[in-house]
Amino acid sequence: MAENPVRNLNMLLVEEQPLLRRTVALTARTLGLGTIHEAASMEAAERLLREHSFDGAVISIDCGALRGCVYNLALLDRMRNGMYVSDSDIPIAVMAENATTGLLNDLRERHISRVILKPFRAKVLLDAFASFQQPVAR
Amino acid sequence: MLKSAYVHFKRPMPMLAAPIPDNDADRLAALRELLILDTPPEERFDKVARFAAEEFDMPIALLSLVDENRQWFKANVGMNVCETARDTSFCAHAILQPDIFVIPDARADARFADNPIVTGEPHVVFYAGAPLTLPSGFTIGTLCLIDHKPRSLDATELAILATLRDLLLEELSQRTEAANG
Repeated sequence: MAENPVRNLNMLLVEEQPLLRRTVALTARTLGLGTIHEAASMEAAERLLREHSFDGAVISIDCGALRGCVYNLALLDRMRNGMYVSDSDIPIAVMAENATTGLLNDLRERHISRVILKPFRAKVLLDAFASFQQPVAR
Repeated sequence: MLKSAYVHFKRPMPMLAAPIPDNDADRLAALRELLILDTPPEERFDKVARFAAEEFDMPIALLSLVDENRQWFKANVGMNVCETARDTSFCAHAILQPDIFVIPDARADARFADNPIVTGEPHVVFYAGAPLTLPSGFTIGTLCLIDHKPRSLDATELAILATLRDLLLEELSQRTEAANG
């Protein structure tokens, strides 16, 4: 049986913690999952999204120290509205500290393929990136 | 009769003390050139050990450096000592391996079953050690994971452990540059 060829995907990881980000990006390269571009903030992610086309993304939506902000869905909205170079329907997994029904509804409306909750583990993020290799039913 | 019954019992194979590599003097020289032994903890190493313990859900994660007669821990999660004897050390075995050294269950492995760190504190059952090999080719220690129950690591987990090891090597190489000033 012929093996399915593995596509060299261009993917985006938006995550504040440098060690987690670095570990995932380097391990993905070792495992041949593709190239993961790293962004430490939404602003850095926007810059990358304006310049590169991505096949999938894992995005932390936690606001960090920002007062009064629980989740930041603005980047997801702009991606889904086709404001960047990538297709507007690329698979996106989201990292969140915890999930409420309201948040899950918001994410469902934005066609998020997976929600990853704390504790964030490199292995779980790599599984999410690996799943982008599969064709997504839309 | 007790006497004849006794001769039929096989004595368990004794613990295999960690072998000393032929190049140990040069290896030790490379380790000591780093000027890292017996130095205080450093966040850049501690954070990798903490990350490894959390990522793999292990009670113990160590940056272990194999000195002449001891292994000394530069970063230490879960051990209440800063060093142990080299001859009982799993890491002293791991530094002789070309790749990550995994012992799924030390109690079922004749090389380690009666090792005092298996039969007593800290009760090592699972061990995985990624050798820290410097650009010079000398392996000075390991990033290792220890659990008190049998475990295994899949291909992704082994790759993550190798990445964390590589990140430690990057930090150690900065130390080499500083030492060579």
